Amino acid sequence: MERYWQIEKINLKYHIPLHVLVSVLLLLISPFLIGVANLGAQDTAKALEMYVALIGIVLLPPVFLPEQNRDIRDLIYTKYLNGPVIYLVRILGNILLMAVLLGLYIGMLAYNGCEFPAGKYFCGALTEMLFLGGLGVFFYGLCDNLVIGYMAPIVYYIAAIGGGEKYMKMFYPFSMVRGSYGEKVWLAFGAVVLVSGGVWLRCRRKRRKFK
Amino acid sequence: MLGQLFVRECRQTARSLIFWLIVLILIFDFTTQLGEMEIGEEPQPGQESYGYRQSKDPDIIMRSTLGQLTEEYVRENYTTYPIGFYKSVTLNEKDDARIGEILEETAGIAGRESAKQIIEEWYAARNEPGLAGELLKIEPADGLTYEQFTDLMDEADKILGGGSNYGKEYREKNAQVPKTYEEAVKEYDALLEKDRLTGGYARLFCDYMVIFLGILPVFLAVTRGLRDRRSMMQELIYTRKCSSLTVIVSRYLAMIVMLTLPVLILSLNPLLKCMSYAGKAGIAADMLAFVKYTFGWLLPTIMVVSALGMLLTELTDTAAAVLVQGAWWFIAVFSGADSLRGGMYGWSLTPRHNTELNWQGFHDGFAQLAANRLLYTAAALLLVVLTVFIYSQKRKGRLHIRGKILADRKNKS
Repeated sequence: MERYWQIEKINLKYHIPLHVLVSVLLLLISPFLIGVANLGAQDTAKALEMYVALIGIVLLPPVFLPEQNRDIRDLIYTKYLNGPVIYLVRILGNILLMAVLLGLYIGMLAYNGCEFPAGKYFCGALTEMLFLGGLGVFFYGLCDNLVIGYMAPIVYYIAAIGGGEKYMKMFYPFSMVRGSYGEKVWLAFGAVVLVSGGVWLRCRRKRRKFK
Repeated sequence: MLGQLFVRECRQTARSLIFWLIVLILIFDFTTQLGEMEIGEEPQPGQESYGYRQSKDPDIIMRSTLGQLTEEYVRENYTTYPIGFYKSVTLNEKDDARIGEILEETAGIAGRESAKQIIEEWYAARNEPGLAGELLKIEPADGLTYEQFTDLMDEADKILGGGSNYGKEYREKNAQVPKTYEEAVKEYDALLEKDRLTGGYARLFCDYMVIFLGILPVFLAVTRGLRDRRSMMQELIYTRKCSSLTVIVSRYLAMIVMLTLPVLILSLNPLLKCMSYAGKAGIAADMLAFVKYTFGWLLPTIMVVSALGMLLTELTDTAAAVLVQGAWWFIAVFSGADSLRGGMYGWSLTPRHNTELNWQGFHDGFAQLAANRLLYTAAALLLVVLTVFIYSQKRKGRLHIRGKILADRKNKS
């Protein structure tokens, strides 16, 4: 347990602070951009799904970034601890950070008089964050390129805004706005597959390299 | 030297995965939005509706605005665009009561119950033939002057935090009146005669493409910027004889050309549809319209997004440009959501004109659009100059934010 905590401590100290700062800034400027007080359930869902969920793209895809440099990656892979373990610890840590930020934001919405089912919305928004971030992790792992890791969820988000419901069906990310939660189950399943797939792809590259 | 480097950069771009992903996304955007595009037919007499237009008549402005206020007052929810971004506002008791008073002073409607009754009657009446799609209009109270009306609406706008349907900017937008057959024919004639058919469809093409082109170039720019560092060739390239200006400009030109090419190729599809229709209908279509609009409308966006991506990547050696451009795109696209019909281009990175019609709106807003596009072109060139400066400083060993010396210091501390 101690060694996992060490990995997370290093992650929190060196790798993720800038991304957390960007996410916090995104949330702090939200009252200037969208309504955050006295909202009904539909408008609250809109704020969470179309705005707050974007921090998933900021926080999750960079989990492979510290080993972007091939020399560092080679060095890390010679260590006793498995690569996937390091990535999973970082991913879980970042998911926890996302959940905390989302929880605080939902608390702020409730404090400001918004009326909505907090538990359901928390789970729904977190699922969307995980799916957006998972897309990033998967494509980063697949292409070994952070830019593609950002590009995939951003394009998915833009496509969803531009009438994507017709094409995305059960993977449509803004379903809570119309009171539907079935899509969130699919998104949660998709997020697990994408994150696991991304880590597997990343580590598969390693094994091939050291054959 | 510039020519040689330019060709080499184009070849490298053509071999990069990210470029082909961008091309695929553009094809997806085109096919989902314009793949089934059909040339609009001439309006016929006796049609159920010919669409809507904005009116500048104070009486219509008052009636339409009061209609909106009544609807939103009943809904207890107001739509505003404080900085051009959609915001839903629900008022507290005190402000809600004041809006009720304003509605009573301007429209003579006392209380929410009376307003609700009017809305219910209106929705019942809308089911009757001839009224479908028409917006609610409320007669102003007796003796209300236009000046009093504007003062009270300004107050309502202030209570709602600005950017509401009652502010000066949006009041005229409320005054939507149905187009007559004659007006619809006039607008269609403008498409055939002034726009020569292809002009209108080229604007529609640009409207759809500019959404994705407001962000996609940054991915190519960042990837190109980080490529030297990833392959550990940065220092080697720094030592080459070639000037910083030549290196950066050749990269930039290659990016612009490689991003514009797929757009031009995609535009061939709607162009051919337009030419085929024009041939049958005997219209002298403008064959170069899509090229002109691509260069005039889309190129400045491609230029500035690529230049910003290059500058931030060169400065930080990270993918931070993606996040910055993402934020800019988000604000630009959402702030343009209320000006889809064109004519109000403002300073948006992604000017919208989501119809092949409204030549008059385009004509009236042309000076604004031209200023917008020139500004972004100038900004792009300035960003390229700044990138050249940063690159030359790095070659001299300065501005290495993520350099080894800094990393070494961190380890010692």
